[in-house]
Amino acid sequence: MRCAIVGSGLAALASYATLRHAGVPAEEIAVFGTHADPTAVWRERASSIHQQRMRSESDGHLAAAAFPGLAAREGTITAITRSLVNRYHPTVELFLWHADQVRRRTGWDASFAERRVAHVRAGEGGFTIDGEGSFPHVLIATGHPGLVHLPGAVHAYEPHEYAAKVAVVGAGMAAATEWRNALAAGSEVVSIRRREPLRRPLNVPRAYFSKRGLAGFHRLAPAARVAVLHDLGQPSYPPGRQWDIDLPVVDAPPPGYQVIAATGFRKGWREDALLADLVATHELDTHDRFLSLEPDSTVPALTNEHRTLSIAGVAGQWAFPAADTIAGAKYAARAFTRRVCRTR
Amino acid sequence: MSYTLTGRIQSRLVATLPPLLVALGIHRWWAVELVALMLLFGLALDVCVYDRVFDYQPGWLAFPLGALELGLIVLAMRMPVTWSAVGLFALGWATAQLCSHALFPRLHLEYAQSGGELGRLGALVAAAVAAVTLAGIAGAVAVIPPTIHLHGVVQGPLVINHAQTLVGGTVRGGIVIRASHVTLKDVTVIGGENGIDVEDAEHVMLDGVHVLGVTMDGIHVRRGSVMVEDCHVSAPRGPWVQGIDISFAMDKDMSMIEGCRISGVREGIVTHWVMADITHNHVSNTELRGIDMGEMSMGTISHNTVVDSKGVGILCLDHSECTIARNTISRAQLPIQEQYFAHAKLHKNTIED
Repeated sequence: MRCAIVGSGLAALASYATLRHAGVPAEEIAVFGTHADPTAVWRERASSIHQQRMRSESDGHLAAAAFPGLAAREGTITAITRSLVNRYHPTVELFLWHADQVRRRTGWDASFAERRVAHVRAGEGGFTIDGEGSFPHVLIATGHPGLVHLPGAVHAYEPHEYAAKVAVVGAGMAAATEWRNALAAGSEVVSIRRREPLRRPLNVPRAYFSKRGLAGFHRLAPAARVAVLHDLGQPSYPPGRQWDIDLPVVDAPPPGYQVIAATGFRKGWREDALLADLVATHELDTHDRFLSLEPDSTVPALTNEHRTLSIAGVAGQWAFPAADTIAGAKYAARAFTRRVCRTR
Repeated sequence: MSYTLTGRIQSRLVATLPPLLVALGIHRWWAVELVALMLLFGLALDVCVYDRVFDYQPGWLAFPLGALELGLIVLAMRMPVTWSAVGLFALGWATAQLCSHALFPRLHLEYAQSGGELGRLGALVAAAVAAVTLAGIAGAVAVIPPTIHLHGVVQGPLVINHAQTLVGGTVRGGIVIRASHVTLKDVTVIGGENGIDVEDAEHVMLDGVHVLGVTMDGIHVRRGSVMVEDCHVSAPRGPWVQGIDISFAMDKDMSMIEGCRISGVREGIVTHWVMADITHNHVSNTELRGIDMGEMSMGTISHNTVVDSKGVGILCLDHSECTIARNTISRAQLPIQEQYFAHAKLHKNTIED
């Protein structure tokens, strides 16, 4: 086995598709994860908040090459025109259908082994995964460590219905979606939030998706980079009429209100058992809640000319601020693939 | 997409490859000039404007930016903008869109996240395009005909047998042009049988020439195609002098006679078996016809003024197909005549006593 992917979510599938696109045979890739269906976890969350459309745009899909995007695959003039003016957001249904196509086409199932990985250890010329291996190149894409629950509240990303009176805690995309859902269900809705929400089309400003913004970001000193990441991590949702919802803002849930926690995910490497173990075992550099990475998403202390340890997904923010997006997953995947192919 | 400056430049250079190949393939200076201008303005705008103004460039912006670049090129090109030129520009624009939205992201997975940078191979291709464009310009400049300035009076007849541009001066005894791509600009010809004699030559430009005192034709073209602009033919020596005679070149490019003043000759402008556009000329005091499109010629005679013609003002003769429009004919014995199986379409001509 030449390489392994630890994790079985969207970032893992995007990485797998990128490796396969580059010509790495399925039998040289091992995928260790908890779900055979890489969309399973994400699908449940999207279903819980009744998400109809993606926040991402036409190129927000899991295939290796950006073209053809989902607008082109939808194939309507409307979709392509909307894509030209950045008003195209694929439906969740289309996104999942396409993800399923990618899964089938790339042979994901042949490489997948169901296992919750507890330890990744660096060794001579590679890594062991729970004692198995060695794998010269490993990409960790374990995703969000878990949901931030509030006592007495149902989390937005868990299946739920809407009571007659609903208090939504949070100010991000999930919160805004829940405001709309609850209002559509006829509920009386109040918002509980610490700050006014930011309005921006994507998770972070667009320049951070390319070298134009990333070059400056990568030059920042650690403290400044931490500050930028905290700033970019503030909850946001897109501008546009459909998101302009004027709700009463309260400090605490009024009595008799159903409380929905749109509070997102636990953050930082400490919350992820696998990463926490890795950091502790190999004394890796961290800054605040962020794992220190090279611009190509590799862990510098454990990567050399013979082996690679890359981080994809939310834990890769030190290299790519929007690491928890599909674009972020691909960013890490492409750099990882480059290294895998270079040392073939 | 959020381009880096390097990404913009590389993407533009590589996407220019198809129009550049077309321009080099069709062997036309205007095409090479157009592609060079596309690159010049594009790169200048990339460096000075786009990179500074657009942190992110949405897809729709390609339309207004394309129009802006086309406008600048139209202003910069020192020639009429033809559909071919617009087509070549459109090819360049469409190629750029196709490349940036489909081809580059397909071939170079990191294209968007690299801000349009194309990696080592892309940089090589970009450099090659830049080099080929420069070489193309250099090559085209190298074969531009030389320009010769005449001063004072030169004793002719002057025979021109290679491409060149002749500017100014006076030639006695006539000029014979036997090479294509010859331009005469502001040259005065005095005397001789034919003032300017063009034989088997194409793409000949006669701009602002004055012809005086000839005994046969002021401008005499056989088996050739010419553009004659703002010429003067007058003071003939003898009763048989024609102002301009273009003949026997139906299989050549169309000739054009525009803005000329011809007076005192037997016939002003004569054609035989050619395609010609005769427009905005002033023909006066002819002994016979003012303008004569004859012998299976085809063309347009428009916006001309014919004054004091002792014969026919405008004649469409012998199986010719003539469009005669918006001319003014004054004091002609017979203002307009269609004769011997010719077919003339008339439109808004003015006939005055």
